[in-house]
Parts: sequence; structure tokens; C-alpha cells
Amino acid sequence: MIIAERRPIPEILENIAGYDKLLVLGCRGCVAICSAGGDREVAILAEAIRLARQRQGKPIEVFEETFIRQCDPEYLEPLKELLPKVQAVVSLACGVGVNLIADLYPSVRVYPGVDTSFYGANVELGKWVEKCRGCGDCIIDKTAGLCPIARCAKNLLNGPCGGSQGGRCEVRKDMPCVWHMIIERLKERGELERLLEIVPPKDWRPAGGEGLRVRVRPDLAY
Amino acid sequence: MKLVILCCNYTNLSEREDLYEIEGDLKIKRFPCGGHIEITDILRAFREGAEGVCVCVCEKGTCHNEKGNERAEKKVLGAKMILQEIGIEPERVSFFYVPRLDAEAFVEDLKTFYRKLRSGDLLADTTTNKEKEK
Repeated sequence: MIIAERRPIPEILENIAGYDKLLVLGCRGCVAICSAGGDREVAILAEAIRLARQRQGKPIEVFEETFIRQCDPEYLEPLKELLPKVQAVVSLACGVGVNLIADLYPSVRVYPGVDTSFYGANVELGKWVEKCRGCGDCIIDKTAGLCPIARCAKNLLNGPCGGSQGGRCEVRKDMPCVWHMIIERLKERGELERLLEIVPPKDWRPAGGEGLRVRVRPDLAY
Repeated sequence: MKLVILCCNYTNLSEREDLYEIEGDLKIKRFPCGGHIEITDILRAFREGAEGVCVCVCEKGTCHNEKGNERAEKKVLGAKMILQEIGIEPERVSFFYVPRLDAEAFVEDLKTFYRKLRSGDLLADTTTNKEKEK
């Protein structure tokens, strides 16, 4: 899922300083799962904004709403009914949601309530770890399902680098060396020879090296 | 001074009269479990004029819902982080594990917190006598 983190409240307050009617808009997609922008976080941020503005002597009316998703135009349709009540929107969706609101409703003052961080997994309660960089050209079929682009500090395609010790990364001691893990796993499977194949330099264009990435499926698109 | 107590219903049933030594406006709000106390409850108490909020839950290992009390502790931490961001001293929120139905410990913890708030020294040592004994 996309992992996000709430922005510092003073930054949010600065963005909405000129308004006295605000919508805090959550998303029940990834940001709800990573506890950054679901119903509960909407309620918390809205209450924090009310409290902070009350203390500043500039009370604000804050509406709370959470959509199923903010990354599909049809799910943003109900926003039309809410917009007349407010002067600005703080979206707790990932950057995709904020961008789509800005695209669909150019006159709306929309501000991000979270920083969109990475694609990760919820490995334990309250902890999320990056697992994928979204580089658009997967090589994990060759690496026992473990991604060296996201999980190797040096993004090595032909690892390990030789600096890891005891299975730990030399750049980040708190991080396991993914190439150590790949080798151990392939060895267990008797597939270590797969690593004899040298992976050529990566084509970074699918990773965004050519600007905006667009995917079109002719069998679906009109 | 307004002090709000957010408390698990099973932790303690003390009422206002049991806390007569605490002057000022005292509001006790009970929840079915400490795990039901939300960050928004703490923030709302401040918006409604509280100068201090005290969250009291059952001692570890005695929660009817296993971890509701520990969840409350995490919520208090979350609330403190937000309060700090918006310029309110996080020490204005206090959290106590209280022996179930032991009114003495409950009242003692509240009095200690109240004294700290009233003195204005929010960083004062709030360790209760009971904790010191441990």
C-alpha cells in the first residue's frame, strides 16, 4: 500500500490561515490502512485544528468527511455538494488524491494533510517498511521475490556489494542486507546459479525517467 | 481551573464528593473501557476549556478487554504529540494505571496531578507515593 504520514500541524495551520470554513477530507484506501488519513485521523486532525485556531483567537468551522477513495473521479463526485460550504480542503489522501482534486476542481483550494512516503507493508503494529519502489520494471522473479531496488541501500542489481556484515547492511545497520537474504533463499532452493546471470544496467525510463507515467489498456479504454 | 478526568468505568467509581479536596471545575467522563478513550476526547476536553486532562485506566493485566488500558496509554502519547505541535504543554495530560476499585490510589493520583497544574510547574515530579514505594 501507499504509506503516508501526517504533515506537521503548524504547516497545515499555515496553509489554512486565511480560511474560517474548512473541510478535512479523508480516504478509506491505503492511507486509512496505514493510519494516516482514514476516518479516525480525520477526526483527530479536525479537532486539533479547531483547538489550535481557538487558541489563536480565530475560530474555524471544520467539516469532516471520508471518501472510499480519492484516486477515482467517481468517488470524488460527492465533493461537489460539500464545496459550497467551505473555502478550502485539507486532503488526507496520498498525493494522488490531492492531485486529482486539483485536476477535477481547479477552483478549489486543496492542501495536503499528509506527506506521501513510499510503497510498504505493515510489518507490525505501528510500523511500516518499504518493499517496492514502483520502478516499473520488476526483477524480483530473479531475486526470490525480494526487491533490491527498494530494499538495498545501493539499489544494486548484481549484489551483494561486499560491505554487509552478519547479514546487516553496511549503510544502515538496523536494516538486513537484502542481497544476503536473496542469496540465502536461492541457496536453500538450490537455485543459486540463477545469480550467475548478470543483470544489465537498469532502464530507468519506466521508473519515471521520461516524466509523467501513463498506462493505457486498450481493452478497457474508450 | 477545569480538570477533566477520562476514566474506564471498571477502574473506579469515585464521584465528585470523593474528590472534595480538588477545588475547581472537575468533570469525570466514564468509558466502557480505557481502550475506548480517543485522542479526540482529550483534544476536545482542552477545546472545551480544560486546563488539564487525566486519563485513568485499570492496571496492566487487569483490563476486561485485555489491552484496552495499554491502548489508552498509546492514545495519550498520540494526544501529547499533537498538543506539543500546537503549542500546548503535553504535561497537561496525565496518565495513570490505577488499581481497580482502589479509591485511595485514584484520588491520590488526581490530587498529585491537580497540585502540579495549580502550581504551574508542569514539569514537577508527579510520581505518586504508591509508585515511589515500588
